[in-house]
Amino acid sequence: MSTRRIGALALSLAAALVVAACGSSSSKSTSSSATSSAAAGSGSGSSSGKGTINGAGSTFAAPIYNQWGQNLSSQGLTVNYNPLGSGAGIAGLQSATVDFAGSDPPMKSTEVKAAKGPVLQFPIAFGAITVSYNLSGVKAGLKLDGKTIADIFLGKVKKWNDPEIASLNSGVKLPSTSITVVHRSDSSGTTQGFTTFLAAYSPEWVSTVGKPAKTAKWPTGTGAPKNAGVASAVKQTPGAIGYVEQAYALQNGFTYAAVKNKSGTFVLPTLQAASAAAEGIKIPSDLTVTTINSPNAAAYPITSQTFLIAYKDMCKAGRSQSAAAGVKKFINYGLGPGQKVEESLDFAPLPSSLLSKAQAQVNQLECNGSPVS
Amino acid sequence: MEAHATTVVSGGRSVLDRSPLGRLPDQVLKFGLAGVAAGVLVLLAGFLAVLISESSSAFGNIGVFHFLFRNNWDTSQLQQGAACATGSHCTFGAWPMVVGTLATSAIALIIGVPIAVATALFLTELCPRRARGPLSIVVDLLAAVPSVVYGLWGFIVLAPKLRGVQQWLANTFSFLPFWGGQVAGPSYFLAGLVLAIMILPIVSAISREVIATVPPENKEAALALGATRWEMIRMAVIPYARPGITGGAMLGLGRAVGETIAVAYVIGGSTTLGHSIFQQGQSLAGVIALQFGEAQSTPLYKSTLFAAGLILFVITLLVNLVARRYVVRAGRGKRVGGGDAAPGIAEAEPEPSPA
Amino acid sequence: MSALQLVSARRRRTDQVMRGVLGVATLIALVPLALILFYLLSKGIGAIKSGFFSSDPNLSQCFPHVPGAPPPPPCNIGGIRSAILGTVEIVGLATVIAVPLGIIVALWLTEYGKESPLANIVRYFVDVMTGVPSIVFGLFVYTLLVVSHVGGDAVGWKGALAVALLMLPIVIRSAEVVLLLVPSSLREAALALGSPRWRVVTRVVLPTAGPGLITGSLLAIARGAGETAPLLFTIGAAHVLTGNLGQPMNSLPTQIFSDLGQNTSAFVDRAWGAALTLVAMILLLNLIARAISRRSRLA
Repeated sequence: MSTRRIGALALSLAAALVVAACGSSSSKSTSSSATSSAAAGSGSGSSSGKGTINGAGSTFAAPIYNQWGQNLSSQGLTVNYNPLGSGAGIAGLQSATVDFAGSDPPMKSTEVKAAKGPVLQFPIAFGAITVSYNLSGVKAGLKLDGKTIADIFLGKVKKWNDPEIASLNSGVKLPSTSITVVHRSDSSGTTQGFTTFLAAYSPEWVSTVGKPAKTAKWPTGTGAPKNAGVASAVKQTPGAIGYVEQAYALQNGFTYAAVKNKSGTFVLPTLQAASAAAEGIKIPSDLTVTTINSPNAAAYPITSQTFLIAYKDMCKAGRSQSAAAGVKKFINYGLGPGQKVEESLDFAPLPSSLLSKAQAQVNQLECNGSPVS
Repeated sequence: MEAHATTVVSGGRSVLDRSPLGRLPDQVLKFGLAGVAAGVLVLLAGFLAVLISESSSAFGNIGVFHFLFRNNWDTSQLQQGAACATGSHCTFGAWPMVVGTLATSAIALIIGVPIAVATALFLTELCPRRARGPLSIVVDLLAAVPSVVYGLWGFIVLAPKLRGVQQWLANTFSFLPFWGGQVAGPSYFLAGLVLAIMILPIVSAISREVIATVPPENKEAALALGATRWEMIRMAVIPYARPGITGGAMLGLGRAVGETIAVAYVIGGSTTLGHSIFQQGQSLAGVIALQFGEAQSTPLYKSTLFAAGLILFVITLLVNLVARRYVVRAGRGKRVGGGDAAPGIAEAEPEPSPA
Repeated sequence: MSALQLVSARRRRTDQVMRGVLGVATLIALVPLALILFYLLSKGIGAIKSGFFSSDPNLSQCFPHVPGAPPPPPCNIGGIRSAILGTVEIVGLATVIAVPLGIIVALWLTEYGKESPLANIVRYFVDVMTGVPSIVFGLFVYTLLVVSHVGGDAVGWKGALAVALLMLPIVIRSAEVVLLLVPSSLREAALALGSPRWRVVTRVVLPTAGPGLITGSLLAIARGAGETAPLLFTIGAAHVLTGNLGQPMNSLPTQIFSDLGQNTSAFVDRAWGAALTLVAMILLLNLIARAISRRSRLA
């Protein structure tokens, strides 16, 4: 009868599941020592930086962490990074459910207070936020400044041949196409960086839309989810303008604007210009630099930073000793050969002054009071 | 008594003769089932409790009424130490999302349920028998597509293609309220349309099950009285199946109200209230999905998203209350548990279901 | 005189029109399916090369060929093996939890609870739970189990729990609809013949409702397998193959989610290949379940 058959099927399915779940994973695993060690709980002290470490956070930095992890897997370190967003990474770190967090905005003092102990914040890379557009006949490098961009995103500048744009671009033939603004519909650190820049040049932006935040009450335009969504919307819509992360824009051949920086120069979003944004700025003692609207003459003004954040004493916070060693190895790699790697991924590496400070900070990592080996 | 009462099913004595020990399996079943049901109820209540406790901070700082009815999703106010945490000059509110959820679900039901029921009717009553199985599998295949694929397909393919159609609709019927305006592509209407496609398989599959169990005598009686095929469906099938179909529609509504990723992609992500259904907006579920990753590190922000989830819970509860009252009233006088067409006629094996 | 001659032309016309309407509606329902499947196939089939199902995802970035620049290093995106195994195990565990529990609750609602106040409360709760966004289930499990470090951090079985929570109300609701359709005369006949209650349930009610229960469960499984949100915060982000539900796992929806946001198109292609694989797996499950139910009904 059908009940019996259904019952038999269910039982065999359950049995198969139990066998699979209880079965050892290492026999099927392709990477070497990997998954059997680590996870929560105090490890038995394999301090050679092998095992698995878990991280979560910024989607902007995900390609970097994934590539570093892939490169390190041959040395026995497996890195699982979950690109849920900077806020999720910080929350995961606060509850110590991850070994490290990736976050574009640095952790605020109130957020650190809500964590299980003091944290160390390592700047990892910089990335320009390009202002990309889709306008036939207009090449890359259209000159725009903060006030004009704000007016476009406020909806006050409606057409491409508006005098406000034309006055910055004498000699460029601008069509009369309507401007379609594309913005992020999800919450994002990129939006925060972009709106921070706009707020610095347009008081009307602050009074109409609000203070810079990870979301904004965009007065006009279409929303698209994530960076890829904005990029695809800009590509599909003639006359569109949107803010797209640098790595994406470079790898997919977008046309982007040259934006006027604080010293008055119109700068294209190149890797050098993004790294330059971190030079000549004040570096706080905890290395939590912000590079938006940098005063450096060669800097691209809408440059964002991203941090790798870990507990100063991981073991006291509840993570294992082998995870602490793994994180240290990961950061050392990242601040060493990893810088060249991220450059090949179209992210801007740290300038030397900041890099040496970050490398020195690695030695502050501890496990139960003693330095991590 | 015993000799004639031995039966094919029990192979034993009649219930009146059974010892207390013989009644044990029945008691075990009764209390076992009740125990599991109570356990599930406790689980669901616990779920509600967690929702309430996580959203208490938001409602406490912003106020329930203001949270529901103010049109200002300005998250910069939620950062630590800013207006809403201290309670002064806080103008935060989720009204645009509430409207978005209601509008898109209503559109999804209005478009999706009639088509789903019509499909179910066609497949069970009018379709040639051989095509029934494959066709129903094909319709059910819509349920297999992950919601993220719906969202992407809607955003990349459907939105540009339907922009012209939406603009035409907006212009032609602009005298209607909440109609008209400039169409950008993603809109409440588009989200409702994508949701209608997503709820099709659920409503259709359940409707098929229900329609297939209409007693053949009811249908034959109608036909014998000279009804045409359609009249038979209208008189014998639909009234009998209505409570079950409503159950399917409620499941479809649940899916529509709670769909996160697909709606987030095609509704446009605007945190202000659109003036027409062809403009952009946001839904409660969508805002949770899109913003939760970043909101987690700011306790008040996180709490507002849980509060949005709680509001969804309450909206679904209210709609279900209303629907159940309507169905109960409509179904009164009909045997919900299935009935005979005429007493004395042996109940034949129910018509094989095409599902 | 045949019955048809007694039918007026108007009624006959209405009949034909309505039949046409029903047929057209079915066609309308099939059009989006065709479009979506076509789109899925066109984007996903290119990614399914050799090794797609037998290797794990490779996270090395793939660079598009920029015209004029030297060709980039060869791209090896790997495959989705760990994601497939992860989905099978997670959805399997969720099904084993949700389907029996759901059918039991539905049985209680129809056989014993009926219109009692407790049963009505359970019904309302269940109805409302079908409308909760899937992400809230994930957050619930995250808040209760992951943050509190119960049995590890983000691991596979916690994601399965969140998916089971998602599936449970659907199973209960659809099972209740189907169980209510079992004619009470069948029950009464069995009872009148002296059968104890439990036998009525197991030998009469359940088998009669069997195909419908399977349909409802399949709907729930299809929903559960395709949802990303319950898994995002609960299963971690592993990419290597692991059969161990007590470790962070990969799954098809989360793999698709993380791939779609990538910069380079090779990963996006992998995501579409994974989506196509997921749809194919659910279709296969559908076909197998129907074959079983059809054969058992003829038995």
